[in-house]
Amino acid sequence: MNKIVTSLIISIMVLNLFCVMPISLKSQQPPKGPWVDEVVFFTESDPDKVVEMMLRNEAQIYFDDLSYPHILRTVKERGLSYTFSYGLYYELTFNPVGPLFPATGKLNPFSNAKIREAMNYIIDRAYIAGEILGGLAVPRYTALTPSFPDYARYADVAYEIESTYKYNFEKGKAIIFEEMQKMGAEFRNGKWYYKGEPVAIKFLIRIEDARKDIGDYVSGQLEKLGFTVEKRYGKSAELSPIWIRGNPANGEWHLYTGGWITTLVNRDEADNFGYFYTKIGRPEPLWQAYENDPEFYAIAQKLYYRNYKSAEERDELMAKALMMSMKESQRIWLVHLASLWVSRPEVSIAYDLAGGYSGSWLWPWTLRYKDKVGGQVKVLSPDLLVEPWNPIAGTNWIFDQSVIRATGETSLLPDPYTGLYWPHRVEKAEVYVKEDLPVRKTLDWVSLIKVGDIVVPGDAWYKWDASQKKIVTVKEALGENVKALAKVIVYYDKELFSGKYKWHDGSTFSIADIIFNFIISHDRADPASPIYDKAYVPDYQAAMETFKGFKIVSKNPLVIEYYTDTWYADAEWIAAVGADDFWPYYLQGPAPWHTLAIGYLAEADRKLAFTADKAKELRVDWMNFIAGPSLEILKSKLQEAISRGFIPYSEVLRDYLSANEPLTRYQNLMNWYNSKGHFWVGNGPFYLEKVDTIAKQIVLRAYRGHVDSADKWLKFGEPMIPELSIQPIGTVIQTQPVVRNLTISTHGIPYRADDLLYVKYLLVHPGGKLTGFAEAVKDGLYQVRLGPDVTGALEEGTAELIIIAVSKLVGTPSITRTTFTVKSLIGYVGEQIAGVKGDLSGLGTRLSSVESKVDALSSQIRGVQNQVSSLSGVVYAAVGISVVSLIVAVAAVFMTRKSKT
Amino acid sequence: MHLKRSSVIKVGRYVGVRAVTVAVAIVISVYLTIIIANAGGYVDEIIISELRFNIYESVRANPMYKGYPPEEIRRIAEERIELEIKKMGLDQHFMIRSFNYLYDALTLNLGRAMKIFSSSGSNRVWDIIGERLPTTVLLFTTANILIFLCELFIGLTLSRRYGSKLDKLAVSLAPLSSMPGWFYGIFMIIIFASWLGILPYGGLVDAPPPEEPLLYALSVLEHMILPLLSWAVAYIPIGVYRMRTFFLMFSMEDYVDYAKARGVPPKVVERRYILRPVLPPVITDFVLVLISSWMGAIVTERVFNWPGVGTLMAEAIAINDAPVIIGAVAIFAYLLGISVVVLDMIYAIVDPRIRVGE
Repeated sequence: MNKIVTSLIISIMVLNLFCVMPISLKSQQPPKGPWVDEVVFFTESDPDKVVEMMLRNEAQIYFDDLSYPHILRTVKERGLSYTFSYGLYYELTFNPVGPLFPATGKLNPFSNAKIREAMNYIIDRAYIAGEILGGLAVPRYTALTPSFPDYARYADVAYEIESTYKYNFEKGKAIIFEEMQKMGAEFRNGKWYYKGEPVAIKFLIRIEDARKDIGDYVSGQLEKLGFTVEKRYGKSAELSPIWIRGNPANGEWHLYTGGWITTLVNRDEADNFGYFYTKIGRPEPLWQAYENDPEFYAIAQKLYYRNYKSAEERDELMAKALMMSMKESQRIWLVHLASLWVSRPEVSIAYDLAGGYSGSWLWPWTLRYKDKVGGQVKVLSPDLLVEPWNPIAGTNWIFDQSVIRATGETSLLPDPYTGLYWPHRVEKAEVYVKEDLPVRKTLDWVSLIKVGDIVVPGDAWYKWDASQKKIVTVKEALGENVKALAKVIVYYDKELFSGKYKWHDGSTFSIADIIFNFIISHDRADPASPIYDKAYVPDYQAAMETFKGFKIVSKNPLVIEYYTDTWYADAEWIAAVGADDFWPYYLQGPAPWHTLAIGYLAEADRKLAFTADKAKELRVDWMNFIAGPSLEILKSKLQEAISRGFIPYSEVLRDYLSANEPLTRYQNLMNWYNSKGHFWVGNGPFYLEKVDTIAKQIVLRAYRGHVDSADKWLKFGEPMIPELSIQPIGTVIQTQPVVRNLTISTHGIPYRADDLLYVKYLLVHPGGKLTGFAEAVKDGLYQVRLGPDVTGALEEGTAELIIIAVSKLVGTPSITRTTFTVKSLIGYVGEQIAGVKGDLSGLGTRLSSVESKVDALSSQIRGVQNQVSSLSGVVYAAVGISVVSLIVAVAAVFMTRKSKT
Repeated sequence: MHLKRSSVIKVGRYVGVRAVTVAVAIVISVYLTIIIANAGGYVDEIIISELRFNIYESVRANPMYKGYPPEEIRRIAEERIELEIKKMGLDQHFMIRSFNYLYDALTLNLGRAMKIFSSSGSNRVWDIIGERLPTTVLLFTTANILIFLCELFIGLTLSRRYGSKLDKLAVSLAPLSSMPGWFYGIFMIIIFASWLGILPYGGLVDAPPPEEPLLYALSVLEHMILPLLSWAVAYIPIGVYRMRTFFLMFSMEDYVDYAKARGVPPKVVERRYILRPVLPPVITDFVLVLISSWMGAIVTERVFNWPGVGTLMAEAIAINDAPVIIGAVAIFAYLLGISVVVLDMIYAIVDPRIRVGE
């Protein structure tokens, strides 16, 4: 009986094991589409409440930054996850007009470039970053963003600038005093006067953020210098008419606390010099008042227009511009803010180095629970549904766009950590550029070929003619022998038109979706079109300045040629222009041709309009695919399309459609609308399940019909920031070689050498600085080799070795430092001889000490000998006594025996 | 018959005069709002400045335009600025626009907002306000009615028990109202949402919103508890004190004493000699509270993340969206004007001391 019970229990246990194992294994398999099942977006803008809600697990992520020192403390103490992005930066803008303001006749100290430059010494950036911003910032000295690739490229120049212009109040004061006196000002009783009146600085201080405290701090520093500061606090709206639109010659202001933002990783910041320091930047009176050193202006212009022939020439120009911009200092940079992004610790998500969580194109693919597949994630956002959603020209608000991005996909996706593009629906691309363009490539999916001339084929498509309803070729529009600066051949995914790749409403993705994009992009700018929109024309004209032609080389698999005069320093970016220009992800969202077709009908019928401008002009609603009065109109247009069998641009498009495709697609859309209540159809990892306009909530559901698995972009879940560790150096002898190992890893794993762009070193010594590159030994191991020529060039004293590693996988450079002493060979040999001498004299001393120890030992031995001698007497006496005692005892025994007998 | 006709004429004339006076007041107040909301036209300058800055920045930040000559960048940006200015109607002089605003407001057309859109995507001011009004009415009208009823009944009860322990307690609680509702709201959130975790932090409904209408409604009710409670704590004590004092004052009138001396039963005295004269100010109070509740409460809505008219107004003021501000004020002015006229008529009916033409 017992045996039976035991067997039964064992059988049940084994059976359970078999049942459970597949489930637990299965649950760990990456599903099709995203990792999680549902994402719910809802709103809250109070930072403290947001943190509380996350602590109580009522939300898992916040899609905006929470850059407050007290929140950083709370987040750290209470175990929430956090990360930083670097898109926002503050500066001080100077009014450069002068020396006297024409309107008031008053002195403007900041018209003097030397005073502006000296202000760099007066402001303690470390104080602003550490104290005012509670550590949520890093000091910034130059026009280059500290976390972006250009900073890494010129880190040695930046380092020199940062050393030269570090806080030195007395030095700055001396320069300012000298220059003020030269300008005719007098310093009396601790104040500056000009023509009997105090020199007053009118300071415009923004109050919405930390710039208020920064403004107060700078005011304090200026007052210490003897200036009379007149502070005017205000919001952007109040101050912008004064500094942006006002004429600086009116003398209404001297200083302004400026702030700028960038929402994507900018890989080429060369135009910053032209923009921030010269007249080229903007047409407003302030910019037009900038006067530059002619050499600097020429350099800034070259960098702005990209008039350089090679990367080396660019490097040279950038280095000069960096140094000269500090001399000009039309503005001085203060801090680069570290924006704080917070999430629950059990959640993982890729963030963008400039735009944080919400700015990342990869968030829908990387959002997941660390310990499970599936589940619901609640995302808080400061706002939602700000403007109508339509793919052509709907909402551009980041709060809406971050949601929209999850519902669609582009053929390439930008790397959130480097800004480089990676293929998503593309297999490879060939980029041809003119040989004199300084273009480089980083990633392997792109081939870069430099050629002489690039001729655009005459049969390539150039535009759509709305009156003749035909595609105009390059030959027809521009004639023969049209040339372009770049050509891209894009080889899309072979499976693209296999029928597996579908839109959310079940419609099959087809080449018509791409052709439709080409046509409608041109049609909207053609006055003969029923959907002509003059608000679109400026952008269209700008795009046509560089667009040269588009050609379908192969329909399936899809291969296209794209001709353009647009070029970037990165071949991946040029490839992205070609691959994505007509991919059905429009300016503000994804769309198959059939959803836009009903939008087309609505606009053509003047019931709705894609753009806000045209809606205003027609006095109709701005088209909204997800809610509101637009839905009924779109529904009626869908019914009309079904009844008419409407094919937009049928003259061209019908050749790319299968027989039943239009009707099937419209029917799919009607079913979708009846089921979901909106017309937003995408092809991304999530689909739009529900919109609650009153409660401002959006529900996204996982699209499990997606062709890709969730792990496709997993490697971008965490940034692969290189972690550096260098062997200590100690002392370097001039002309003597030095080799030190440098280990590079990320998350404890050796960093692949192929993933590193370069590892540069900077040697700062009393005589200057030297630069060079570390050499790869193997993955995770580099060597810094300082040859005799390098060490021979170092001057004696304390020196520092700074290693800068730049990865292909993250835009932020990693930096490590070690200090050492440099000694000359003669000095070193002298030191060694002195050392030997010292050793010898030490040996003599040691010998005498040994001698004295030996003497002491011999006297001790003698003492012992004496003791032994004195002891021998005692021993002899004892032996004698013992012998006598023995004899007496023997005699006594014999005597006793005799008496018994 | 003759008397009746003359009374009708008198009442008609009275109502007509009142209506005209109120209409003039409405026109003046709406136009003043237009002038103030636009800072006499200076807001145009502010909007254009911000527009220029933002459009130039967006063009500069667009990788598509990298390397374009400044003239081209300038052309693109300037064309966009011009279009945007036209879209907002800023190409027209402010004085002309101000009369357009006035006309739209008075005809209750209200026009279209400059920047704000309803969540459903419409920029018609009616749609924008209409989308927020139901939630505001739901929360604040409910709150005001509940508070009003509590004040009325507790005040009346206490006036009957003047000097009792309950009365003393109510009087001692009156200083609670020195703080506004949102102030208590913050504490309520800390206690009930953050600490105890039994009520939501704010918002209109759970996330994700329940599918079933009944569950949805229950979830909305759950989200109303804390704001209602915070307003009750803040406004009931002073209201009770005010009503109680009010009833006491009226109960001490000579004609009440006379009625009591005549031996009129206490219930009749209360109903006829105290409550009836109290009605006009009470009704006025009630109507005004009701109307003002439709404007929402900016800070309370912010604290509880309640999507109402108050938040909308705050947003409109912050970004200088004049049509929305003017629209909301126009609606409010009309409601107030109509209420004043209607109240005047009600006074004549309910208050025996008021007679037209006497």
